Order: sequence, then structure tokens, then C-alpha cells
Amino acid sequence: MIEIDIKDLTKKYKDVVAVDNLNIQIKKGEIFSLLGTNGAGKTTTIKILSTLLLPSNGEVKINNFDLIKDKMKIKEIINISPQETAIAPNLTVLENLEFMAGIYQIKNKKEKIDTLIKTFNLEEVLNKKAKNLSGGYQRKLSIAISLINNPQILFLDEPTLGLDVISRKELWKVIKELKGKVTIILTTHYMEEANSLSDRVGIMNKGKLIALGTPNELIKKSKTKTFEDAFVKIVTGGLD
Amino acid sequence: MRTLTFARRNFKEIIRDPLSIIFAILLPLFLLFIFRQFKIPNEIYNIENFTPGIIIFSLSFITMFTSTLVAKDRTSSLTARLGVSPMKGVEYILGYSLSVIPLVLIQNILFFILAIILGLNFNINVIYTILVSLPISILFIVLGILIGTITTEKSSSGVSSIVVQLVAFTSGMYFSLDMVGNTFSTICKILPFRSTLNITKGILNASYNNLSSSIIIVLIYTIITIILAVFLFKNKMTSDNK
Ligand SMILES: Nc1ncnc2c1ncn2[C@@H]1O[C@H](COP(=O)(O)OP(=O)(O)O)[C@@H](O)[C@H]1O
Ligand SMILES: [Mg+2]
Repeated sequence: MIEIDIKDLTKKYKDVVAVDNLNIQIKKGEIFSLLGTNGAGKTTTIKILSTLLLPSNGEVKINNFDLIKDKMKIKEIINISPQETAIAPNLTVLENLEFMAGIYQIKNKKEKIDTLIKTFNLEEVLNKKAKNLSGGYQRKLSIAISLINNPQILFLDEPTLGLDVISRKELWKVIKELKGKVTIILTTHYMEEANSLSDRVGIMNKGKLIALGTPNELIKKSKTKTFEDAFVKIVTGGLD
Repeated sequence: MRTLTFARRNFKEIIRDPLSIIFAILLPLFLLFIFRQFKIPNEIYNIENFTPGIIIFSLSFITMFTSTLVAKDRTSSLTARLGVSPMKGVEYILGYSLSVIPLVLIQNILFFILAIILGLNFNINVIYTILVSLPISILFIVLGILIGTITTEKSSSGVSSIVVQLVAFTSGMYFSLDMVGNTFSTICKILPFRSTLNITKGILNASYNNLSSSIIIVLIYTIITIILAVFLFKNKMTSDNK
């Protein structure tokens, strides 16, 4: 079943076309990675899909809701961990979770928060103010918050940026556990991450989608050994 | 409910960064005290006239730190997260406003305590003035939201200090507006700050003549500012995102 249907999606800023005629269909429960060098248009795409930014052109259906007309219905079933960590700086970790649980009016609030604390190993920093956390913990908190409303669709914009190897592996585990239950659209610059997590990847370059498929398909297509080599070859135009 | 959750968070955010509140309370308190010591022979500086001036002046500091809070949330991506949530524009404005109102109350109570120590007669009008300053504060709070919506964390206090200056010069708290030229006095009448002072002064001194035009002016400004703030905030939500 198609959960996200993107048709001819375009976003123009004054003199840049940040997203150029994008067409992608994402299946329910799929982990889809958007890849591309800096400025490729990944964040802009995620912002549009998560209702933060209006497209200049094109049509998007999420769970059969229209992205613009049924915005409020879509908001109920999605969540995001933005590229920059988004937390309330003067609140503690626990207060941050309680705050967002309140914003989403979560019913079994305490239970949900306890689960997230365990999942992300936040016990020892629970009463620390968010602004005093290390970058890694801030990011973990930001991602934990994005699961507070049990989203059906989750957008993760560079979720592992700034995480150490251990935390990154832990987060992979969390993401893998969500596989099949939550549709996840993520962006990353770590190719081994994209390779190990994603069902499919889409590679963007200058706003355009230039490759789409499973990591293995792209390795085959580009006649390379690793996914990272495949990515480099595709982005530098070695495919044609 | 969502509004209250948001207001509670904002309140915590404000009181845990107490420097700006201390400033917003201590500076007006200091001014109230020091101007009494000068014993300036002008009725504007009589305690029953100057205290309402200090109240309005302190509200301009409320504008300043509301704007900083809003601008900070915008830069820190928290607004982006909230923007994805089902929160509505009005809920933001209400949530920010509700969180600041307790501070206005604290300011007012402290000013009146000092004023009474300095010789103001305590009577029921003091209570009325405090009550009336709360709805008046909405104009200043929403003005802060408006400024925070269109500025950055760095420029927000600079732009808000324009409001502080405007209050000082156009409210008539420091000098009678009849003394100044025609053009300036017209500007003062058009801006809402003189009217806010008229109202608080009138209530404190139980002279209710000519208050209706002031009330209408403040009301119009408040409504326009709210509409503008909701509109711009919503707009910014979907365009801000760098
Ligand atoms: N608010 C904006 N105004 C103008 N240009 C923007 C804005 N946001 C992004 N861009 C431009 O759009 C392009 C895509 O940016 P972005 O989506 O952030 O890329 P990525 O996330 O892939 O690094 C870049 O060229 C960027 O400079
Ligand atoms: Mg990006």
C-alpha cells in the first residue's frame, strides 16, 4: 500500500530550485532514505512532507490525505526530528517529554514517556536541563520526542549527526525495531547507515531525483562493490 | 489544554532565565524610587501619577522579553517541531500571553508596594488599577510576539527597545504632552501608549472622564496587533525554515 505519494513536487526559492519535479511513492512500513550531497534538497523535501513548508508546485498525498487541504489530519499521524535538534532548552529531559506529550494530548502519557526513557537510555540525564546536555543526548532527546505521539510516519533529518559510534548503533537498533510498524523517511550522510537501514533509497542532486531503488539494485546498476562507491559514482555522474 | 501546556512551558522557560525579569522589575522600581527623591515640582511626578507611568513603562520590558522568547524558539527549531504538531496559531499566541501575565501581576504588586511606602494612599483603586493593567498588558505581550516573529534572537531586543523608547517619550509619563509641539502631540495621540497611561492614571485617581476614547484606541490597537501576530506567526511557520 502506498502511504506517501509525491507527484511533480517542486520548491523554488528566489533563485534556487531546491526541489525539482520530484516523483516518489513510499510504501507503508518502509524505511526510505533520501541521500545527496549538501544542498541537494533533502531537508526542503522533508519540510514540505511534514507540513512545515508549502510547495511551489506538485501534489502530495499522505495516507490518502492531501498535504495542503488535510494538513491538520496529517499532523495527527506524523512527527519529525528536525536537522537541528529541537528541544526546549530550559526544561529538563523529563519536562521536555511531558511538554510534548501535553502538546499531542497523549492519553497514556506516563507509560509512553517511561518507554521512551528506556528505549533511549535517558535515565541518568532525566533531571538535567536540555541545554546542558551533550550534543549526543540532545539529539537522542529530540528523536525520542518525535516518537511521543506514536507516529504512523516519521521524518528523521540526519538523525545520527553528532552521535558517537555507540549511540549511533543504538539508534539503528531503535529504527530497526520500528521497521514495518512506522513508515520512516530519513536523510543521512553515512552510506553504511543508509545501506543497513533502508528498504529503498532515493538519491537527490540539485533538487532532482537521480536514482531510486534498493541499495543492492544501485550497487548492481553502478557496477561497484560497495554502496558508498555506488553513491559516489551516481552523484558524480558516472552512471549515464 | 494544549494552550495551557504551552503556557506552562513558556513560564518555566522565562523564570529559569531570570536575568531579563530581574531587569524588567528592578529598573522600573529604581526609577520610581529615584524620581521621588528628586522632588520635581511637577504634578506628573506626584506618586499617584508617576506610578501608573512606571507600570506602563515596565510593560514595554514585557514586550522586550516576550519578543526574545519567541525569537529564540524560532531559531532553535522548537517552533519547527511545534509547527508539525497539531497546534494552531491562536494557541501559540494565547500560550505565550498566558505565561507572561503572572509576571505582569508580580511587577504591579511590587510597584504598588514601593509606591505605598513612598506615600501613595492605599485604597480600592490600587486593586482596580492592577486589574486593569492586565488586559492592557495583552497589547504589550502581543506586540512582543509580533516583534519576535519578524526578528531574530539577536535583533529582537534591539527592535523591542524602540517600544521602550516610544513608551518613554509618547506616553506622557515624563513630561506633559501639552508642552510639546503640535505634530508630536498628534503622534502621541495616534500611538496607543498615551491612552494606556490615561486609563491606568484615570483608574488610580478615580477620574473616569475622557477614558472612553483611550479605551477605544487601546482596544483597536490590541485587536489589530493580535490579528497581525496570528497571521504573521502562521506565515513564518511555513516560510521560516532555513
Ligand atoms: N529558506 C531558504 N531560502 C533560500 N534558499 C534555500 C532556503 N532553504 C534552502 N535553500 C536552498 O535550497 C537548496 C536545498 O537545501 P536543503 O534542502 O537544505 O538541502 P540538503 O538538506 O539536501 O542539504 C540549497 O541550495 C539551499 O541553499
Ligand atoms: Mg539538510
